[in-house]
Amino acid sequence: MSRILAIAWKDLRSTMRNAPALAMMLVAPLALAALLGFAFGGGQSFSISATKVAVTNADTGASVAAGTAENAGGVIVGVLKSPDLKDVITVSDKSSAAEARKSVDDGKTAAAVIIPAGLSRAIFGSGSTAPATAVELYENPTQQIGGAITESIVGQALLGFNGARAAALAAAGLATANGDGARAGKLAQEAAAKYMQGGGAAAGVSVTQRAPRLPGRQSTKDVGVTGTILAGMMIFFMFFGANNVARTIIDEDRAGTLPRLFTTPTPRQTILGGKFSSVFVTVLVQAVILLVAGRFIFGIDWGRLDAVAALTLVAAAVASGLALLVISLVRTPAQAGAIGAGVYLVLALLGGNFTGSAAAGGTYANVQKLTPNGWLLQGWDAVMRGGGLGDIGLNLLVPLGFAVVFFAVAVLRFRKRYA
Amino acid sequence: MLWVTAAGPSVYKETSAPTYGEGRLVSIVEVQGLRKQYDPPKGVLAVDGVSFDIAQGEIFSLLGPNGAGKSTTISMLSCLLHPSGGDALVDGHSVVTDAQAVKEAIGVVPQDIALYPDMSARENLLFWGKMYGLAGEALKTRVDEVLELITLVDRQKDRVEKFSGGMKRRVNIGVALLHKPKVLYLDEPTVGIDPQSRRSILDGILALRDQGMTILYTTHYMAEAQELSDRIGIVDHGKMIAVGTNGELVKIVGEEAHVELSVDHSLEGMVERWAEVRGVTTAMIDEDRAVLLVQDANEVLPRLFETAAAAGSRITEVNVTEPNLEMVFLHLTGRALRE
Repeated sequence: MSRILAIAWKDLRSTMRNAPALAMMLVAPLALAALLGFAFGGGQSFSISATKVAVTNADTGASVAAGTAENAGGVIVGVLKSPDLKDVITVSDKSSAAEARKSVDDGKTAAAVIIPAGLSRAIFGSGSTAPATAVELYENPTQQIGGAITESIVGQALLGFNGARAAALAAAGLATANGDGARAGKLAQEAAAKYMQGGGAAAGVSVTQRAPRLPGRQSTKDVGVTGTILAGMMIFFMFFGANNVARTIIDEDRAGTLPRLFTTPTPRQTILGGKFSSVFVTVLVQAVILLVAGRFIFGIDWGRLDAVAALTLVAAAVASGLALLVISLVRTPAQAGAIGAGVYLVLALLGGNFTGSAAAGGTYANVQKLTPNGWLLQGWDAVMRGGGLGDIGLNLLVPLGFAVVFFAVAVLRFRKRYA
Repeated sequence: MLWVTAAGPSVYKETSAPTYGEGRLVSIVEVQGLRKQYDPPKGVLAVDGVSFDIAQGEIFSLLGPNGAGKSTTISMLSCLLHPSGGDALVDGHSVVTDAQAVKEAIGVVPQDIALYPDMSARENLLFWGKMYGLAGEALKTRVDEVLELITLVDRQKDRVEKFSGGMKRRVNIGVALLHKPKVLYLDEPTVGIDPQSRRSILDGILALRDQGMTILYTTHYMAEAQELSDRIGIVDHGKMIAVGTNGELVKIVGEEAHVELSVDHSLEGMVERWAEVRGVTTAMIDEDRAVLLVQDANEVLPRLFETAAAAGSRITEVNVTEPNLEMVFLHLTGRALRE
């Protein structure tokens, strides 16, 4: 055992003295997490800064029922200015369409909503007499998210008008069929008026921000974007960290130190056990450093300690087993670098290391479960949301199964190579 | 006792434990028909039935050109390679069936520096000491002793990567001495180092022999083999072609001297003419020179000049060497040792 530890300690010290390797293992994941975290608003939330929207309303309104006039454009402006949406969009009124467009051109707003003069007549006009018209959405092409949000809100409002109009026309059609044409027009106008006074005026369109949740699981808190990204980056760079250390088997073979070790009375299985241990210990240390750094630099709440420890150990086992498997399949350091990078990148893309696991759905969620890192990331997400060991049983067992298989195949191949 | 096999059938052979000096000595290494073929059945036959013994306290050198099979032989005796045939007993233990016991008895100094360059000399020795089963105070004490032995006490905390080639070689040897092995294998330990470091290493090896250590040494430097060895085994193409003391081996070529001649033109024609000269036993071309073995250089040299003059050639350089291992190798293989 002491010889295994001696080999592991020797490799760990060598790694800690290797500045490029340290940068790859520790600095890169932290830097990427910080960069991406800040890009998405930073800190502990997924919040996106409010989209600035310019609005001009040229709608003059229309008579809806006897003695009742309504302004559909005003309703849309009201929706956009709804208190429920204050965190999503900030509306500024413009006096003309030209002024609204200019604010977009000048980069002062992400989009402009231009409401035409005949909007109410188009909506409340009866039958085929209603003129066709459209609300114009003028977008800054470089701010697609803001444009999409605005389009969604305005679209929802218009959908409500169109739905009410369709319902009114249906009622009018029914009355006409019964030979009561005069009553039909009245019915349509009454239906529209009721919509305006009820659903429309209530500004029923709203957007609710909601953090992703794991299916069938109670989520008690939101997960910060930096934490999600750092978890992904940590596992991704653990693969590379493990690869760097596992590669020393090939490096030592070529440098002559491994054959020399084999001439000592230390059994070969002890020597390989020491090398394997050094890979595991190194990535474990790497993970712990990243977790601690994430806690103190970014204030990430990783969750319950026992669950985090279990996930970290399993992640280290997966990274070690995979790296040893890759190294057992190659002959040169160059092959180890190239093939290893390819394997880890593909796994990271499939497993969701760059996208997070919670946002995945449908086929991609299933694809993620084909990879050990996908399971680990889902487990991490659950623990960061307050889950415990009981919630992540499969997220531990499945990757552990992967690790055992990787490790077993690697041992068989190394035994054959160094028999 | 001398034994020789030509590059083919045996001329005469003696495989019993060696005797030299004062009476018969006990063999600590006994190699019998050792054979190694890579990727059989069609792969390279690197070692082809090598047999020899090494007596306790003896320096035994394997002398041969690069690719002769010296390193492969050492690898098998180190239990690093599994023999394709034959066996060897080291301190009474078979390299085939009792590798663990063999490894405890040997120290191996590989041809290339096999150290961790990012670790200091002391850290290297401590690490390798643990691999040899040392621990605690015994390990620290032994590391101190070895640092004294390789005269690197004052540089023990420096990283090996900062050392000169000679210093690295010394650490490389020091590692193999940590557990006080019964037999020390040194595989070309002086390749690529300066004369001063080489001298230091050779003196160190002689000192180890004087302390009773058995040493198996491989080299392609004839002078080293001559200076160090109690006995020498000459290997070529995986075969042991001669074994004996330096004196015994040199007697193979008798009193013949080695004469190298350069001429201004027609070297091939001159070699053919010189081969006919009385007193010349062997004549061949080695690169741009004629190499002759002659019975008495003082008598034969004037005849060689006369023959050249008669052929219209002018001798531009002459080099006469008394009988040595190079000539033995030349005699036995028809090739120079450096080839």
